Amino acid sequence: MDFAQQSTAAHSSRPQINVQHLSKDYRVHHRLPGLSNSIRAIFRRQYEVIHAVQNVSFTIEAGEIIGFLGANGAGKTTVLKMLAGLLHPGAGDISVMGFTPHKRDPEYLRQFTFVMGNRNQLLWDLPASETFLVNQAIYRVPDKEFRETLDELITVLELTPLLTKQVRKLSLGERMKCEIAAALIHRPKVLFLDEPTIGLDVTTQAAIRDFIRIYNKKYNATVLLTSHYMRDVTALASRVMIIDHGSIMYDGDLYSLVERTAPYKLLQLTLQRPIAVEDLLLLGEIESIAGLHVTLRVAREQIKEIATSVLTTIPITDISIEEPPIEDVIRKIFHRGDVYA
Amino acid sequence: MLEFMRVYYILSKVAWAKALENRSQVIIRMLSTVFPLLMMVVWLTVVNQVGPAANWQRSDFIAYYIGATLVYRFTFTFVVWEWDRDIRTGDLSFKLLKPIDPFHYFLSEQIGWKLFDPLLLVPVVALFVWVSPEVHYMIGLGKWIAFFISIIVGFALSMLMSCAFAMSAFWSTQSSSLYNLWYGVGQFLSGFIAPLPLFPENIRSIANLLPFRGLIGFPTEILIGKLSWPEIWLGFRVIGFWIIAFFIIYRLLWRYGLKKYEAVGS
Repeated sequence: MDFAQQSTAAHSSRPQINVQHLSKDYRVHHRLPGLSNSIRAIFRRQYEVIHAVQNVSFTIEAGEIIGFLGANGAGKTTVLKMLAGLLHPGAGDISVMGFTPHKRDPEYLRQFTFVMGNRNQLLWDLPASETFLVNQAIYRVPDKEFRETLDELITVLELTPLLTKQVRKLSLGERMKCEIAAALIHRPKVLFLDEPTIGLDVTTQAAIRDFIRIYNKKYNATVLLTSHYMRDVTALASRVMIIDHGSIMYDGDLYSLVERTAPYKLLQLTLQRPIAVEDLLLLGEIESIAGLHVTLRVAREQIKEIATSVLTTIPITDISIEEPPIEDVIRKIFHRGDVYA
Repeated sequence: MLEFMRVYYILSKVAWAKALENRSQVIIRMLSTVFPLLMMVVWLTVVNQVGPAANWQRSDFIAYYIGATLVYRFTFTFVVWEWDRDIRTGDLSFKLLKPIDPFHYFLSEQIGWKLFDPLLLVPVVALFVWVSPEVHYMIGLGKWIAFFISIIVGFALSMLMSCAFAMSAFWSTQSSSLYNLWYGVGQFLSGFIAPLPLFPENIRSIANLLPFRGLIGFPTEILIGKLSWPEIWLGFRVIGFWIIAFFIIYRLLWRYGLKKYEAVGS
C-alpha cells in the first residue's frame, strides 16, 4: 500500500471554496437560575443577539490545507457549519465546488466530509465496521472502491483490532480514528475538520496528523482544519486564517505571520561558564536563563551579526537560532487583539 | 432505486443489530406488546360482571384485543422522540451531512423494528388464539387484503403524524410533551382504551373522522369483521386525507425549521 505516493490531481483555476461577505447572527435566550426565573421566562424572555460571524471573505484552492485559528467562540465552527450546509448564512455567499452548501444538493453532500472532534457519528452500540457499511450504502460507494479505501484506512490508522469492538467500548483515541475512517469512506474532496485531535494523547494526535497529510497528498483534498493544538496547525498548514469575534484578523502564510508578530528570533546559547547579565544584555533581550543555558531575543535584521560576534567574543559550547514558538505568537495576537488582515 | 433499496436494507439490518445488541430493550418491547391485552382483561371483567356491552360478547373482546395487539405493534412509531433528541442535541447534523433525507433514517429504522417485532408477537398471539377457541378471523380474502393495507397506511399515518409534530422541536423544547398530549387524547379515540363501536354515536362519528382510529381501531375492526365495505372505503379515505395533510405540514415545517436549525453542540 503506497498511500503517500500516488499522483495528485491538477489544481483547478477557480477557487474550490469561495466565501464572500459571510455573516451570521444568533439570538441567545438568557435566563437566570431558579424556579421563579423559569416561570418569569415563560412570559418575558430576554434575548441577546450574538454576531457570530461578521463579513467574512476568503477563497481556498483545491489541495490547500488551511489552519483555521481562533479562541473558543470566535466563530470558527459557525463558519465550518455554514460551509457544510448545516447552517443557513445570515448574509453573504458561499460556494464550495460550485455548490451552495445550505441547498444540500446530494451531489455536494457526497463530496465533502465534516469531522466534529467532540461529537460521535458512529453507531454507538455496534462495532464501527457497521457504520462503515452504512456509509458505503448511503454514499453509494462501489464494493471494490469501498474495500480498497477501507484497507487503506485500516492500515494507516491501525484499525484492525478495533473493528469488532462495540463503539461504546472504544477509548477516545480509538473512537476518533474510527470516526475519521467513517468520514472518509466516500473519499471526499473537501475535509472540514473541527478539532479532530481534541482530547487525544500525543501519539494518536501525531498519527491523525500524519494521516491527514497523506490523505491530502494522495487525493489533492482540500482541508480546512481547526485545532487548539498548535502542533496540528504548524505540522499541516502553510496558510492560516485567524478569526476573532467573528471577523478574519489574518489570512496568509504562517511564517509571515510569525515574522510580523514577532520581529525577533531566539538565540539559544550554552555557555562554558557563567557570564555577567550586563554582557548578555548587550546582545539582546533576555528571554530566559537556566543555569548555563541562555535564550536571547534578537532583532531579525541583527541576528546574523550578533551570532557571529557571539562566536568570537563569548565562551560557548553550543549555539542555535530558532523561530519563536508559534503558540506564543498566536497567544500574543489573541491577547493584543491585533488586526493583520 | 436499487441503490436506495440497499440503503433501506442496510439501515433496517442495523436496526435489527441494535435490537439484538440491546437484549433488555427486546424484553421491554415484548412486555409493551401486551398493553392492549391488559385492556382486554379489563373488558372481560366488565362482561363477566354486567353482561355483554353494546352486543359485544366475550369472544368479540378477545378477538378485538388480540387483533389490536398485532395492529398496535405495526402502527406505533417512536420517531417523535428520536427527532426531538436529534434536533435539540444537534445530532441531526450527522444526518444532514449525508446525501439522503434524514426521514429515510427514521423510516428504515422503524421498518427494521417492524420486521423484528413479529418474532416477539407471533408466540404471544398464537398462544392467545390457541387458548381461546371462540376466536377466529374468518373474514374472507378481500377483507384480509384490506386489513393488510390498513396496517400499512396506519403505519404511514403514524410516521407522518409523528414527523409533523416532531418538527416543532426546531422552535420549542417541548415537542415530545406536545406529542404525548396529542397521543394521549388519541389513545382514547383510537380504539385502544375501548373499541369505538362501544362509544356513543356522536363521539364515534367524530372519532371516525379523526386520524387516531386509523392507528388501531380501523384495522382491528376490519380484522374482526365488524366493518362493511362502504365503511372500509370511508375509513381509507379519511386516512388518506390525514396522510396527505400531515405530509404537507411535516415538509413545510421541515423547510422552515432547517433555516432555524442551529446545529448546536460543537
